[in-house]
Amino acid sequence: MSIEEQIKDIVSEIVRVDKNIIRREGTFKDINADSLDVVQILLRAEETFDIEIPDEDAEQFQNFGDFVDYVERHIAEKEKA
Amino acid sequence: MNQPLIGKLSLVTGGGRGIGRAIALKLASQGSDVIVNFFRHRDTAEKTAKELQDMGVKAKIIRANVGEPAKIDEMFDVISNDFGYLDILISNAASGVGRPVLDVDVKAWDWTMDINARALLLCAQRAARLMEGRNGKIVSISSLGSFLVWPTYAAVGVSKAALEALTRYLAIELAPKGICVNAIAASAVLTDALKFYIKGQEAAHQQATPAGRMVTPEDIANVVAFLCSEDAFMIRGQTIIIDGGASVMAPFVSTTGGVNQ
Ligand SMILES: NC(=O)c1ccc[n+]([C@@H]2O[C@H](COP(=O)([O-])OP(=O)(O)OC[C@H]3O[C@@H](n4cnc5c(N)ncnc54)[C@H](OP(=O)(O)O)[C@@H]3O)[C@@H](O)[C@H]2O)c1
Repeated sequence: MSIEEQIKDIVSEIVRVDKNIIRREGTFKDINADSLDVVQILLRAEETFDIEIPDEDAEQFQNFGDFVDYVERHIAEKEKA
Repeated sequence: MNQPLIGKLSLVTGGGRGIGRAIALKLASQGSDVIVNFFRHRDTAEKTAKELQDMGVKAKIIRANVGEPAKIDEMFDVISNDFGYLDILISNAASGVGRPVLDVDVKAWDWTMDINARALLLCAQRAARLMEGRNGKIVSISSLGSFLVWPTYAAVGVSKAALEALTRYLAIELAPKGICVNAIAASAVLTDALKFYIKGQEAAHQQATPAGRMVTPEDIANVVAFLCSEDAFMIRGQTIIIDGGASVMAPFVSTTGGVNQ
């Protein structure tokens, strides 16, 4: 499963929304995720992909696509290291 | 300078910023080595650790979400391996979901209780073993919200009430091990976050405080240092209120003594 699909699974499970409404250009607000949902999504992504996502970085995400790109980039960096 | 804590090791949860940072700096100024636990702000924790090292003490940062038992265990495993002892535990980290009581769902409740109350239980259990024979001190940071009602503060307020009750139980049950356990409850403290929220209302806050100004992180740190000193040996299981007198004022009375119209 692609990283994007895995992240969609995480988001849909925590926010309890259908996976298909999560779009790259959509925001957490669009799917009614509250701040606690967001923290839990970040935590789950950190555990699943064994990376760290500090708040400073998460605050920069404009949409779901930015989040996916960030995770992909950090996994790639980790694999290189 | 008087440095009674030389050779001691302190763990401050959420010690990277805000009140936790002020506590870490104060303990270091008294000579203590300090472990700074953090969760989501590594940069800030690193900066604080650097400040501590510049004061001439050992400092180490450990990332752990204190809401997760496994992470607490991992943190204490590191402390056990690297040091093998601990003298002071400051349970300061807190989080919470600000909602009216009717909107506090199970997820929000558990999140708040796990980080604010259960963390003290689990940290104290591990810390007690590392404090064996060392006259350990445990201080938790609570808030007036444990007994006063603030808007949207229900989940956090209840978690702080649990924290204070647990402080009493720990104080009694750890007394035979020579460990002193107390808590501090503060009113609104002038941290960077709070400065943002109360912008423009500073005067009103000041006016509601008989002591004439708001509580600062340093005010809290000073009392923590006292509770960690041998002078406080006979204080056990207490929650010390730091609020410049605000909570003992009768309602509808101004600080100058007149009755508000
Ligand atoms: N500020 C006030 O007006 C006030 C009043 C009364 C009592 N208090 C109490 O004083 C204590 C400190 O407050 P503050 O205002 O300095 O806090 P703050 O600015 O909100 O910072 C919270 C601290 O706790 C850490 N933290 C949060 N969740 C954590 C978790 N799950 N695991 C580990 N660390 C976590 C944070 O670390 P990261 O940044 O790394 O995530 C940060 O260091 C709290 O217990 C609070 O309830 C504050």
